Amino acid sequence: MVSLKVYIITRLLMTIPMILILLTLVFFIMRILPGDPVLAIVGMKASPEQIERIRHELGLDKDWLHQYIDYITMVFSGNLGNSMIWGRRPVINEIWDRFPATLELSIGGFIVSVILGLLTGVFSSIKQGTKTDVGLRLFSIIAYSLFIPLLGMIFQLIFGVYLRLFPVAGRKSPLISITWYTGLYTIDSLLSGSILGFFDAIWHLILPSLTLGIVLSGVYTRLVRSSMLDVLAEDFIRALRARGIPENSVLFKHALKNAFIPILTMMGLQFALLLAGAVLTETTFSWPGVGTFLMERIEYRDYTTVQGTIVFYAFLVALVSLIVDIIYAYIDPRIRY
Amino acid sequence: MFYILELEKLKFYYFKYTKKVINMNRKALSRTMVIIIAVIIILVAVGAFFAYKQMQEAAAAKKVIIIGTTDKVTDLDPASAYDFFTWEVLSNVGEGFFKYEPETLELKPALAESYEVQEGGKVWILRLRKGLKFRDGTELTAEVVKWSIERVARLEGDPSWFVLDFVDKVEVVDKYTVKITLQAPVAFFKAVLAVPTYFPVSPNSYSADKFDPDNTAGGIGPYYIESFVRDQEMVLKANPNYYGEKPKTETIIIKFYKDATALRLALESGEIDIAWRTLNPSDIIDLKNKGTYNIVEGQGAFIRYIVLNTNMEPLNNKLVRQALAAALDREKICEDVFLGTMSPLYSLVPAGMWSHIDAFKEKYGEGPNLDMARSLLQQAGYSETNKLKLELWYTPSHYGSTEADVAAAIKESWEATGMIEVTIKSAEWTTYIDLTRNKGLQITLYGWYPDYIDPDNFLFPFLHTGSNRWLGNPYSDPEMDKWLEDAQVAIDKSTRTTLYEKVQRKLADDAPIIPIFQGKLYLVMKPGIKGAVIDPYMLLRYWLLYKE
Repeated sequence: MVSLKVYIITRLLMTIPMILILLTLVFFIMRILPGDPVLAIVGMKASPEQIERIRHELGLDKDWLHQYIDYITMVFSGNLGNSMIWGRRPVINEIWDRFPATLELSIGGFIVSVILGLLTGVFSSIKQGTKTDVGLRLFSIIAYSLFIPLLGMIFQLIFGVYLRLFPVAGRKSPLISITWYTGLYTIDSLLSGSILGFFDAIWHLILPSLTLGIVLSGVYTRLVRSSMLDVLAEDFIRALRARGIPENSVLFKHALKNAFIPILTMMGLQFALLLAGAVLTETTFSWPGVGTFLMERIEYRDYTTVQGTIVFYAFLVALVSLIVDIIYAYIDPRIRY
Repeated sequence: MFYILELEKLKFYYFKYTKKVINMNRKALSRTMVIIIAVIIILVAVGAFFAYKQMQEAAAAKKVIIIGTTDKVTDLDPASAYDFFTWEVLSNVGEGFFKYEPETLELKPALAESYEVQEGGKVWILRLRKGLKFRDGTELTAEVVKWSIERVARLEGDPSWFVLDFVDKVEVVDKYTVKITLQAPVAFFKAVLAVPTYFPVSPNSYSADKFDPDNTAGGIGPYYIESFVRDQEMVLKANPNYYGEKPKTETIIIKFYKDATALRLALESGEIDIAWRTLNPSDIIDLKNKGTYNIVEGQGAFIRYIVLNTNMEPLNNKLVRQALAAALDREKICEDVFLGTMSPLYSLVPAGMWSHIDAFKEKYGEGPNLDMARSLLQQAGYSETNKLKLELWYTPSHYGSTEADVAAAIKESWEATGMIEVTIKSAEWTTYIDLTRNKGLQITLYGWYPDYIDPDNFLFPFLHTGSNRWLGNPYSDPEMDKWLEDAQVAIDKSTRTTLYEKVQRKLADDAPIIPIFQGKLYLVMKPGIKGAVIDPYMLLRYWLLYKE
């Protein structure tokens, strides 16, 4: 237990140099990119004096080294700064307006991809060499190669436009009122006492989650299959079967658990990637998440917002990675810290 | 011994039996769990479906209209807001001293019930309507107006030039009378006063010394903002205290979409009542052909044009510029790229605006006039063996996804002379404007939405020496400058018209900028939605919308 605490603290401390390196890279890359952010901000009629004034206000008249030192000092004092455009809102507010949407979509897509991937992977491994196995492997390749906007649009057309079963875009219906607590509409609706809002939020999540989940499940299918085949070939599986342990138990309680380590690694990586914003899904379903937001701010050279968002994500990825490592220790008793 | 053996036997059978029972119970338990989970999932799904349907039916009620758009609201502070859609929202939740009569370009009194112009247009006296209040209860007085205008100047946001470029001082004459003294007489100052930058705001709701981009307090308008979630939706409710014409619909909801395809699908799925700004041209044509929807088409005042850098060879040669103007095939661009949803434009002043003349058509014909272009190029020393080489730049996303096609169509029309070779290059927006201003690009494509509805706004910023530095175009002509300056101060409209006609003809002759097309605006509505008005003002008046 003590060693696990030490491990967690060590990992969290290691996040600091990681963020510093990443931030430094992003800082200088943004400045190397062509394009003057002040010109992108000001209207066409801005005078040279106005442009210089804004440049000074944003600290962009200083040399890069001083800008860097000022920014690092600000970040490590807990302040991500203000956006450089459109009202100069605090970066943390900009992120927090959009991150919950990305989180909700990520969780939804993740759940679908894992369930679908696990089921198809396990069945494929059980039915190795059969038509079912071939079919499921083909499904995984097709799923993974699908272009998300295409799949999304097909779902929107069939289920939204023709059958009118699901909404085609957005996070909730217009007349639903949900008080913002966490930004996760499924949770906030319950906290607001709006059961209708909860159901409505769930319904809006289905198509985007299915779209994202189906495409991502392709990775899991093949990984689960390969991992399961390795484990199912082990002697202890033969021994379990010889003892008369039910097959479902052999597969899901013993084999899958042992096959889970590489799958867990993939899950951690995928989830961290999802949190960075599924840009294509967000665009297709007009999901107001961080992916499209970050793309827009890169285009406008909004240095502070881009840098701040990267810092936020670096920390989040480090946290997800740490959680995955702790789960390793839980499912594999051989792993101890 | 026997009893011990029997006891052991009993124990064995007991454990075997209980284990069997436990296993049976475990199986039964896990089966039960699976059934329970399945039932929960089905109940949630059914509940969610009915919730969604219920909301759809509620939205179909007459008191709600849902507008879908791919535009965004960036900044709700009139002192810093400077984009089209935010101005549209501000125009529905606030008001200025004057506002445009729908379907005309006539400015009628709004918050100012009367006004007077003195000293040849240098002094404007505005008499406010009495008893008007903001949402926070603050009364609209001359002090509040003075505070609001001075706040814009003090904060120096993007649109502050509307005040800084024109206004010398603002004074309070009495509780409801404001005196604005200009730096110099301005003929179109009434149009300037109608822009959202001049909308009064309450000093008790807006900060004096910083921008309030998230402030939903608004001004004094037919609606107020009940809620706003960035990039998702905005809910407007009818302002019960509005002095003027009451909105025809109680609630307007604006839903924001990321792209035109999602907007179209939302309309077809019934999620929105109106699709406004901006559907793809192909979607507009397709929806028109379906016959299910009502399409409202209006002549917009936004224009697209080609900028020729007169400081760079060979574009410093007037003959070359004239040849490019002659060879341009506007019809092809409007038909092939925009499927007829745009109109060819032959002046920087949009068609439909007073003083507009088809100056480029007068000089070069409807186009493409390849014979004239070839003749001009030959005079400039070019031929089929000695081709004119040009670099045409565009920006891929700022003006929509059709931009690459526009550039390709221009290239094609110029190369049809057989004497021009065009290389197309692109840069994304931030880099594009940086290169334009600071490095100088040979030929660029730009667009313009008017700040105020007056020919001055379509000519002065482009052609007056120094004012056009933002274009990277150093065009300068003393005669042009004089006409533009005189037109700014002339109060008489016919004098201004004459001057602007001269400007347009000289523009066509010198051709530093070549107009291409003028935008039409399209609004697609479900059947039964009425009241949509699209005019050169281009901002949708939500208070006129209603369901039959």
